[in-house]
Amino acid sequence: MDSPAANAAFAKQINIKFPLLSDMNRKMLTTYGILKTYDVKGDTYQWALRANIVIDKDGIIRHIEGGDSAVDPNTAVSICTDLHKKQSTK
Amino acid sequence: MKRLLAVCLLLAMSSVLKPAPAEPQNKEKEEVAKMSLKVGDKAPDFNLLSDEWKPVKLSDYYGKKNVFLAVYVLAFTGG
Repeated sequence: MDSPAANAAFAKQINIKFPLLSDMNRKMLTTYGILKTYDVKGDTYQWALRANIVIDKDGIIRHIEGGDSAVDPNTAVSICTDLHKKQSTK
Repeated sequence: MKRLLAVCLLLAMSSVLKPAPAEPQNKEKEEVAKMSLKVGDKAPDFNLLSDEWKPVKLSDYYGKKNVFLAVYVLAFTGG
């Protein structure tokens, strides 16, 4: 699992302008139901399901996808853009 | 798009987990996570450490910005 330090090095490397968050204790992943458990030869491992989640200003989930479909962020990005446009016209 | 906050959650596990052995896939039992949340639900608040070692809460953005959470595992940080 990446630590904040590893994330900081990466953010600097590619000049990222948004926060990179670490869920070191997996609390958020558990709450969101995106922690995946693998049993490999009797040992259990857990890591996150890949996911894209869009949450609006009211804290309501507007889009959620996990697994292979979440590899492509375009759906989530277009939902964000639409959401922003709708809010701007209100 | 300026009011859109993109938050990226990087969860590369490689430094903690032993690499999965190069065994045939059918020897691995996989329990796929059941995504418990759906569109329209209130997103549970979280408090996570950013790359600047600052706590970031979802609730900090209520009423201010839309949030795009991208959850990555075994990401590209070299973790």
